[in-house]
Amino acid sequence: MQRSPKETSVKLAVDLGGLAMKNPVTTASGTFGAGREYHDFVDVATLGAVTTKGVSLNGWEGNASPRIAETASGMLNSIGLQNPGVAHLKEVELPWLSSIGATAMVNVSGHSFDEYVAVIEALEEAPVAAYEVNISCPNVDAGGMTMGCHVPSVEKVVSLCRAATKRPLIVKLTPNVTDITEIAKAAEAAGADGISLINTLLGMAIDARTRTPLLARVVGGFSGPAVKPVALRMVWQVAQAVSVPVLGMGGISTGTDAVEFMLAGATAVAVGTANFVNPTATVDVIDGIIDYCEEQGVADVNELIGALTC
Amino acid sequence: MTLCNECAPILVNEEAGCNIWLMTVRAPEIAATAAPGQFVHVKIPGMDDHILRRPLGVYAADAEAGTVDMMYQVLGFGTDRMTALVPGADAVELIGPIGRGWEVPAGCKRALVVAGGVGSAPLYPLVQSLAADGVAVDAILGASTIDALVARERYGAVLGCEPACSTDDGTFGRAGFCTPLVEEALAAAEAAGKPYDYVACCGPEPLMKLVAAMAAEAGVFCEVSLERRMACGVGACLSCVVDTVDGKRRACVDGPVFPATEVVW
Repeated sequence: MQRSPKETSVKLAVDLGGLAMKNPVTTASGTFGAGREYHDFVDVATLGAVTTKGVSLNGWEGNASPRIAETASGMLNSIGLQNPGVAHLKEVELPWLSSIGATAMVNVSGHSFDEYVAVIEALEEAPVAAYEVNISCPNVDAGGMTMGCHVPSVEKVVSLCRAATKRPLIVKLTPNVTDITEIAKAAEAAGADGISLINTLLGMAIDARTRTPLLARVVGGFSGPAVKPVALRMVWQVAQAVSVPVLGMGGISTGTDAVEFMLAGATAVAVGTANFVNPTATVDVIDGIIDYCEEQGVADVNELIGALTC
Repeated sequence: MTLCNECAPILVNEEAGCNIWLMTVRAPEIAATAAPGQFVHVKIPGMDDHILRRPLGVYAADAEAGTVDMMYQVLGFGTDRMTALVPGADAVELIGPIGRGWEVPAGCKRALVVAGGVGSAPLYPLVQSLAADGVAVDAILGASTIDALVARERYGAVLGCEPACSTDDGTFGRAGFCTPLVEEALAAAEAAGKPYDYVACCGPEPLMKLVAAMAAEAGVFCEVSLERRMACGVGACLSCVVDTVDGKRRACVDGPVFPATEVVW
């Protein structure tokens, strides 16, 4: 049975750097396809936005298998941004999202500065509400995290993307840096309308018996409930360092988790790995936020943003 | 096909032999729609620090009774935890029915089914369906030892005769791997002028690769059911990809059953 969020008088709408969201919950890119895969379980049009799987210009094959490994309260992945290319997204997935009335945020990937721009240019006529620039994937050799760890590269890619579109531009950061605030400030200065974080933490797992890594690519991105404290800390730091809104994610599986991110300063949140465990996790998180607001007498979810008392 | 996420109370959970267990759950929605070769993605209660679901082939789906049978071999933390679940008290959560099942070629008259170990589970509904359609079915079951041939009786009941069996240790049927039995069956059918027009195989990947090669040699259409580490089970995460002639495809929704000629082994 397809689920939708419960009725409420709590005001749930938020503005994520120009992206109007009917509630503060979207999906973490790469965990939700383009929404269709989960539409049997949740009405994806009821989500604040659907953030689609990272897309490159001509499609990538991704990494060798095995691509995932379960770890304590989390998992590693090294998918490598496998995707069929921007044309498929534009011709198949985005029209579908549009037809059901969903809000689409497209996660944009590239191996080079030019490729990020080319992907955005290819989508400017398509029904896209916002872009999320992925400079944080740990599983590709060029682009991704390699760009997101280096301030001059961040400035360059964000400036180029900024020049390519007037739509809301969210920049997704990697936690695998020494000072996340330095990267966030660089993205803001280069024209980002919002910052999303965290992408996965670089990790690895070993099978002691066979003395081999559990992932074909040896290292991969760590996600799931185990990363939540790190994600919360970084969201809190970044929210104080920049004036643009923050999209927080990392280990969110309940409404309480989401509220904690908002208290730390996030304007909206994304549900990622939890979708794999619970296919209705997105709607469960929205319902959980509603329950919290109703219990706490919060009339407008915006009251929660940065309301942490230290 | 609509997927559902069903809370499934456990009715039976017992060791069938040799570390292989049988679990029967009440899951009427999945039982009503599961096609042969499809699987369920199982959330096991009480293991919150192991977050992922476990994919298990549907061993039997009884639409009338509203029950689904799963066969599992205890291999790691999840399956070990499953053995502790108590019928009448515990429930699992199942996403299903998932995937592309067995697609028997139109007009199929004679089929050969080859199962290695717990690969006998997802092939059993196929055998039921072929038999119901009047297709002549020969089945070959391979296992490590006699106690691991846990599906032998069910197969026998549907086939009306004993399936051909092999055990690695020679405790039942032909000693050694089951591949010589496959080779002989293909040759005998050819010699009798009644060649098979379908081979279906599920088991360890080396077995499926060998059987695929034998079927190709004999010119018989062959399907195999592949297994990969899997996260979402619904086609979103791209964890479970299989190398095919059309590039990397998802074992969960593009498979788990693939025509053998499409697989890059």
